[in-house]
Amino acid sequence: MLDDTLVATLTAQFFNGLTIGGIYALIALGYTMVYGIIELINFAHGELFMVGAFVSFSVLTGFGFAGPITDPVTLTWVLAVAFVLTMLLLGVLGISIERFAYRPLRNAPRLAPLITAIGVSFILQNLISAIYGGSSKPTPQVFPFAWRFEILGATIPWITVFIFVVTVILTVSLSQFIARSRMGRAMRSTAQDREAAQLMGVNINVTIALTFFIGSALAGAAGIVYGLNYGTINFTMGFSAGLIAFTAAVLGGIGNITGAVLGGFIIGFIQVIAAQLGYSRWTDAVVFSVLIIVLVFRPSGLLGQQVGERA
Amino acid sequence: MSSPALYRVQEEVPEGVAYRGHRFDNPSSCFSWMVATVHGCQCGPHVAIGRTRNIRRKEELMKLRNLGVLGAAGMLAITAAVPAFAQSPASMGTLKIGIELPLSGASVANGEPTKNGILLAIKQANEAGGVGGYTLVDNTQDDAKDGVPNPEQGAANMATLVADEAVVGVVGPFNSGVARFEIPVSNAAGLAQCSPANTGVDLTKEGSEAYRPEKPDQRNYFRVATPDDIQGPAAAALAYNDAGARNIFVVDDTTAFGVGVGDSFSAAFIELGGTIAGRQGNDYAENQDFNPMLTALGGNFDSVFFAGTQTLGGGQIRKQMGQQDILDKPLIGPDGIADLQAGGNEGAFITLAGVENSGNVWGTTAGINEIPDPEAFKVAYSAEFGQDPGAYSALAYACAQILIQSIDAAVAAGATDMAGIREGVRANVFSGAEFTTVLGPLSIDANGDSSQKFISFWKTDPTLNEGKGGWVFVRQQDFGGAAPAASTAP
Repeated sequence: MLDDTLVATLTAQFFNGLTIGGIYALIALGYTMVYGIIELINFAHGELFMVGAFVSFSVLTGFGFAGPITDPVTLTWVLAVAFVLTMLLLGVLGISIERFAYRPLRNAPRLAPLITAIGVSFILQNLISAIYGGSSKPTPQVFPFAWRFEILGATIPWITVFIFVVTVILTVSLSQFIARSRMGRAMRSTAQDREAAQLMGVNINVTIALTFFIGSALAGAAGIVYGLNYGTINFTMGFSAGLIAFTAAVLGGIGNITGAVLGGFIIGFIQVIAAQLGYSRWTDAVVFSVLIIVLVFRPSGLLGQQVGERA
Repeated sequence: MSSPALYRVQEEVPEGVAYRGHRFDNPSSCFSWMVATVHGCQCGPHVAIGRTRNIRRKEELMKLRNLGVLGAAGMLAITAAVPAFAQSPASMGTLKIGIELPLSGASVANGEPTKNGILLAIKQANEAGGVGGYTLVDNTQDDAKDGVPNPEQGAANMATLVADEAVVGVVGPFNSGVARFEIPVSNAAGLAQCSPANTGVDLTKEGSEAYRPEKPDQRNYFRVATPDDIQGPAAAALAYNDAGARNIFVVDDTTAFGVGVGDSFSAAFIELGGTIAGRQGNDYAENQDFNPMLTALGGNFDSVFFAGTQTLGGGQIRKQMGQQDILDKPLIGPDGIADLQAGGNEGAFITLAGVENSGNVWGTTAGINEIPDPEAFKVAYSAEFGQDPGAYSALAYACAQILIQSIDAAVAAGATDMAGIREGVRANVFSGAEFTTVLGPLSIDANGDSSQKFISFWKTDPTLNEGKGGWVFVRQQDFGGAAPAASTAP
C-alpha cells in the first residue's frame, strides 16, 4: 500500500489543484463566452480579473475588515455582499468596455478589436497602478484558514472547498441560464448566426452587453476568490492569469462553457503535478506543451466547438 | 512638374551627349527642380548636361563657399571664447553625480532611501564649500518600469548619464541584473560607477570581462556591497547556527540574483553539515502560489531559504507558510527580503507576509550595519528627510563619498575639463587609495570590490513598532577576503 505521508501529500496536492483550477476556470469562462458570441479574444479579460481583486480589496477594507471573521453568520453576510458588489461593478465595467471599445469595431476587420483589447488591458493596468500604487497589496483574508478538516491524513483548509463550490455553482448557474432562459436562447442564437438572430427579433446590442456583463462578473468572482485565498494582489497579476485562462479556454474548446472549466482544472492540476515532481521552473513549458499536443490532435480543443448548442 | 529651365537646357545642347545621372521619360516625374539640376535628372527623351547648368552650379558653389567662410569665422569666434569660459569654472561650474536607481512603483521602498543617502552626501559637500571649487548637483534616473527594475531602461538611463558631460560619476544601480546591462555603457565611456547594493559575483570577479567589451582592461565599475559569493555562505551560517536549520528547502525566484544566491547558499549549507530537502524555482510574475511546492515536501523539511526578493515572492511564501500552519519552521533569506522596513510600510516584507506570519524570519544584508558613528549619520539623515535611514542609505552615502573624494583628487591633480575630471575620478577610485567613508576606511581593489566585506545578520520581531513588526540586528561579520568556512560560525 502507498506510504501514508505520500497519500497525505497527494491528497493535499489534489485540493491545491482544485483551488488553482477553480480560479482559472472562472476566468476562462468569461474568455470563452465572449469568444463564443462575437468571436473576439478579449485580451483585457485577465485585467478584469485583476480589477475584480482590487475592487473586492476596496470593498472589504472599506467595510473595515482586515483579518479572518470567525462568526459564520457574519462571514456569510460579508462574503455575500462582497461577491454581489464586486460582480456587479465588474459587470458594469465590462459593459462599458464593450460599449466604448468593442461595439464601434463590431464590423471592422478582426484585427482591430484585438488590438483594442490589448490597449484596454494596458489602460486598466495603469489605472489600477495609478489608483492603488505599484506595490503588492495584502488583502483581507476574511475566510479563516484556521478552519480545516482532515482527510486521508492531510489537513485541508475549508476555503479550498469553498472555492470549488463557488466555481461549480457559478458554472452550473451559467449553463442553466444559457440553456433554459430567454436571454440564454438569445445568446445562443447570436452566437450561431448574428444576422438571422436579428431577423428573429433578438436585440443584438443587449445580448452582447449581457454576455460581457456575465463574463466580467465571473472574472470579478475569480478576483475575490483569489484575494481571499492568496492574500496578496498586484496590478501586474492580470496578464499571466489571463494568458493561462485563455490557454485553458482554448484547451477545452473555445466557445464551450464546460470546456473552459475542464481546461482550467487541467491546467491547475498540471501546475500542481509539476511542483510535486520538483519541476516548478518548468510549469509554463509543460502547460503550453500540453496545449500544443492537444491542439495537434484535436484542433478545436478537447470538447470541441460545437456548431449548434453552446452550453 | 517640369521647369522651363530644363527645356532651355535641352535646346542648347546637342543630342547624344553622354551624361551622368538619372533619366526620366516622363516629364511629370521630375518633381523637383533642385533634384533635377544637382543629380542630373533629365526630363524627356534627350540626354544632356548643359553648359547653362555648369554655370548655375558655379554660382551655387560660390554661394556655398561664402556661407562656409562665414560659418568657419563664426566657429572660430566661438572657440576663441570657449577657453575663456573653460578657465573660469572654479567658482561657477557644476559637476553632476548621476543616480541610477529604481524609484517608482514597488521599488520605492528600496530606491528612495538609497537615493536619499546620495543626496545627503551631495548636500553636505556643497555646504562644505563645494568640491574642488565646483558645486555638486545630482542627475537622477529611474530604471523601474511598472515598479520593477528594468535592465533595458537602466542601460538607456546610463546612456543619458554618459551623454551628460557634467556627470563625472554615477551611483547605482540597485539590482545586479540591471548592472549587467549598464556596465558596458559606462565602461565604454570610462565613467566611474559605484553600486551600493549589487551583489552579483560576475559583476567584478570571474565573468566580468563580458561586461567590458569596449575597454576590457579598464575598470570603471565598483561597489561597496558584499558580493553573493560571500552572502550565500554567510546566510548558510546564519541558518545553521542562529536559526537552527538542518534540513532546508531552497526556493529561488529564477532571477540571476536568486539562482546565484541559492547555489552559493546550498553549497555552503551542505559543507556546514546540513541537508537540502529540495530545490525549486518559481517565477513570481507567472505564479504566486507556493502551496504546491511546500506541500510536495510532505513535511520533510525544517526550514525554508527563499533566494529572492520580497516583491518577487518572499512575502508571499511566508504568508502561505502561515496558511499551512508551519510558522515554526524558520524562513531565511538574503538582502532581497531583509529590507529592514517596519511592517505597514508600502511593499515591505513584513507588510506583504503579514505581521502575524513574520516571526521567525532571518535575513542577511550585504553590508556593514554598525557603522563607526551611526548616530551622526542617523541624525543628519532624519533631519533632512524626516525618517530613519534605509538599509542601503549609508552604503549609497559611502559611494557618493568615494566619488566626491575622487573628484577632489582629480581636480587637485590638474584636471580642468569635464572629460579630464571624469577620467581622473575613475583612475583615483582604482588607484588603491584609501577613502574615509561613513562605513569606515576602505579601499577599492583591482576588481572593483570593497576591502570591507561585511555581512549583517537580522531577525524579525513582530512586537516592534507597536505590533506592526520590524527587524532586529543580530550581529555583523567582516568576512575579509575568503568566503567563510564553518569555523567562522560563532
